[in-house]
Amino acid sequence: MNYQFDFNFLNGNFGLLWDGLKVTLQLALVSNIVGLVLGFGLCLLTLSRWFFLRWPAQLFIEFFRCTPVLLQIVWFFYCVPMLFDVFIDPITMGVLALGLNLTAFNAEAYRAGVQAVPREHLDACVALGLRPWQRTLYVILPQALRSAVPVLMTNGISILQQSALVAIVAVADLMYVGKSIATEAYRPLETYSLIALIYFALSLPIAQFVQWLERRQDAALAR
Amino acid sequence: MNLDFTVVFSYWQALLQGLALTLAFTVGCAILGSLCGFLLSLLRASRSRWLSVPAGLYVELFRGTPLLIQLFWVFFCFPVVFGIDVPPYVSVLLALTLYMTAITSETFRGALKSIPGEQHDACVALGLASWNKTIFVVFPQALLRGIPPLLSNVVSLFKESALISSVGIADLMFVGQNISNSTARPVEFLSAVAVIYFLVAFPLTRLVGVIETRMLRRYAY
Repeated sequence: MNYQFDFNFLNGNFGLLWDGLKVTLQLALVSNIVGLVLGFGLCLLTLSRWFFLRWPAQLFIEFFRCTPVLLQIVWFFYCVPMLFDVFIDPITMGVLALGLNLTAFNAEAYRAGVQAVPREHLDACVALGLRPWQRTLYVILPQALRSAVPVLMTNGISILQQSALVAIVAVADLMYVGKSIATEAYRPLETYSLIALIYFALSLPIAQFVQWLERRQDAALAR
Repeated sequence: MNLDFTVVFSYWQALLQGLALTLAFTVGCAILGSLCGFLLSLLRASRSRWLSVPAGLYVELFRGTPLLIQLFWVFFCFPVVFGIDVPPYVSVLLALTLYMTAITSETFRGALKSIPGEQHDACVALGLASWNKTIFVVFPQALLRGIPPLLSNVVSLFKESALISSVGIADLMFVGQNISNSTARPVEFLSAVAVIYFLVAFPLTRLVGVIETRMLRRYAY
């Protein structure tokens, strides 16, 4: 390989990359908040006693889990404005698509945790005269959250990576900025490597933390 | 606005061709990636640090970066780095295989871990050579236990393969987007493409559950 690496062209572009990084982080964080909150609600719906709540919730989950994220994003950007005759700014739209996708995945993650709450706890709630929402919020949620955290965080990392897809519908996130710099400067190798490293640096610490957490939970279970 | 889903049917041939290409890439990369993934998981489990650390780094790197970047990297940077002209189909195949290798190696690692230590001891007691142990004892069991998660990996590869449309490969996603642009009917065509993806992926995810409950209970435990 005889290629002269040259990172000088980046000098004037750091501001652009920083702006892109901010958009990426914003997309990832807000989608994660949406996914964590709505995911729990959706999970409760799929466990509901009523067919008319359970069935659409299950369909929602399966549809988001069985179609490509890219297609979901493109669908939201093209079809939502046409169907509902609204204009939503690109970042909000990206959050909407990514957040709903994450909601479906998180609902599955919560489900095992909710089902693992022992029957006796629910009986105890009745005996203590807790209202249904109190039972859900103070008894079920904390226990479900605790066992679901590793999977929820892994889902969170994958949404950070999937957020790169909004570049395809021209939202100026890190990937998009990187792509345009690479094209302008004729330096794909340096730019794409740099962008890949930034994504890697963002997700590696969280992935390591998840591994540590899983080891701890395994150890707690073995005891 | 008025929606007319009947127009979708007049383009069924183009959509079917796109689906065929998507499936071809998925199956090809799934097979190549699973084989390489198994080898990589062996390297990761190796006692030598010179083998296990680079293998671990490879997996972390490919799991920690978006597939879109990996795709662009292979597509735009391989020709620059190696000074050769790589045809688009090959570079896409390469990118998806590299990604699948990293993903499946994690699956196999979990499966390898689940093989009890007694089996390794038995192999030593029987005096099996280490490659014999790998091929006849470890690999069949790892494969059997790995089948359900491997199938889920294939389903996610099937979904992720929609990304290859962004470098101009005429897969289902690309065909759907092209038709929706040229006919100015995004709602109908994008929804139809979504339904096609769903119809392929959903039965596969159900199959994962069936295999998990039926087959594994009978053969693996």
